[in-house]
Amino acid sequence: MAPESYGIHPEPILAAPGTELPLTNFDEWGFFIDPNRCIGCRSCVAACAECGTHKGRPMIHLDEMDRLHSPQTAPTVCMHCEDPICAQVCPADAIKRSEDGVVHASQKPRCIGCQNCELSCPFGVPIVFSGLEQMLKCDLCYDRTSEGLKPMCATVCPSQALLYAPKAEISRMRTAQPVREFLVGSLVVKTKNALMVPDPEAPLFLDAALLIEGDL
Amino acid sequence: MSLPGRLELEARPLVRAALTTLGLAGLVALGSRGGRWLDPALLGYLVACLFACFGVAYRYWAWIERPATRMYFGHTMRTLRSRKAVAALGRMALLGLDQLVLQRFIEKRSLKRWGAHALLAWGCLLAFAVTFPLVFGWVRFTTAGADATRYQAWFFGFPAGSFPLDSVAAFLTFHMLDWAALMVIAGCLLAFIRRRQDEGDFATQRFDLDLAPLLLLIAVSVTGLLLTVSISFMQGRNYGTLAFIHELTVILLLLSLPFGKLFHIVQRPAQLGVSLYKAEGEAEGRVPCRGCGEPFIRANQLRDLKALYATLDLGAAVHGSRTHHLELCPRCKRRLLAKAQWQRMGGAFDPFADLPEWAAPIDDPQTLRS
Repeated sequence: MAPESYGIHPEPILAAPGTELPLTNFDEWGFFIDPNRCIGCRSCVAACAECGTHKGRPMIHLDEMDRLHSPQTAPTVCMHCEDPICAQVCPADAIKRSEDGVVHASQKPRCIGCQNCELSCPFGVPIVFSGLEQMLKCDLCYDRTSEGLKPMCATVCPSQALLYAPKAEISRMRTAQPVREFLVGSLVVKTKNALMVPDPEAPLFLDAALLIEGDL
Repeated sequence: MSLPGRLELEARPLVRAALTTLGLAGLVALGSRGGRWLDPALLGYLVACLFACFGVAYRYWAWIERPATRMYFGHTMRTLRSRKAVAALGRMALLGLDQLVLQRFIEKRSLKRWGAHALLAWGCLLAFAVTFPLVFGWVRFTTAGADATRYQAWFFGFPAGSFPLDSVAAFLTFHMLDWAALMVIAGCLLAFIRRRQDEGDFATQRFDLDLAPLLLLIAVSVTGLLLTVSISFMQGRNYGTLAFIHELTVILLLLSLPFGKLFHIVQRPAQLGVSLYKAEGEAEGRVPCRGCGEPFIRANQLRDLKALYATLDLGAAVHGSRTHHLELCPRCKRRLLAKAQWQRMGGAFDPFADLPEWAAPIDDPQTLRS
């Protein structure tokens, strides 16, 4: 069976050694997350801490799924919602989404560290640092992506569980396809970043029954 | 359509802002004894101050009207009206010392940021503390009776001490705005240097929100210092022109207060209310996560966030009949996202699930498996 059958494709966008990396742009490139591919190497965590907007503090989450039964880990970055719930519940009006669709970490002069965002995010992404009275989160490595570079985590991920690639090429690169619509209970959440699923036509249903046994 | 409608202004904040401005105008009339002690040279500043007061008050009241802000503001108001008010005020005073006076939370964010911010904040607040009372006619100086060598200070029309003209106190007092200007200029320069060195800030900063206020503050401070230079070293040459330019920069700064970054000065005290809210929540206890059973969310915050979700039309975020998405801890929410994806992928990494063909192990003759 050819490697392509397993969804493992050579990344077509890597430049040859010694040449300049091609620049990316927000409109044509997308962030594609496939927790299935995560091998738990923690490269993304180390790389994330190098990001200029939250230097020294990794904002990517790498969770062990069920340590007793499986070595599986899952990376989570901000999905950059179209109508971010974190911003809606922020009392300080400190969370802003820029025109390119990136939801930024809280504005430092405004954030009052109330944790509304941390507790309300449908994907469990923001982190409020007690003492700093400030929320930090993945902002798609804005210091890099706004300059046409890839986010740190996607740059170092060896299994392409975190992939930053041209949207037009993703259908050729993967068997699974991106979904950007999620159902939280019956609330629809649309995002800029995508999760990879075999059938992207239907939104991904985040059903708590997957975690909770018995009466919901 | 009416003007407020065309400008998308909200009625209640508009009325409250008008009342706040009227209140300030009343205090000006009272403190300046019916306008008798208003300095004619400062009337332009007074008009700009009243406009700025209206703008800041409007934005403040509109901000308070937001459902999420009201959640905390309402709690603080309820606390201050209850029997817990005295204890709460004491706690707020201590928190205010730590968070507003010493600004230690900024020190924890970064020492460089704290240094620049402390110089800027204290320079600005010192300048405000001098300028506003002078403009409003609340503070004035006269010669002390027939003694031309002494100055008499007045506050709200009442005598507030006198000092000799050639004393250190007089020198420090008369040059108070110069000291403030030096602090502000130093703070702005440090802020510019820090912004240039910090890749994150450099990438996310905006000219109108982050750099323009610093430039405006420098313009106000430099033109203010030039007035002293004109008097002390140039025999008052060009004083009129410099005073006009300084007045223009100050008015521009005052009028930008409601729209720009400096609005956070009136927003920041909300942090004290949030700290009270958190302490109350800790006393009430934390509710366990419905996924992993670990206590994580304060009971009062869960209650209020559920109500807030309903107000914001987010009430559909409920699983089954009982589990609200808010009752899952952030880690369980992340695990849920991955689990939902795995389920759609056919449970590829579940060791007890049947592997789909595309995820089956590679048939490798070198491994024990084959």
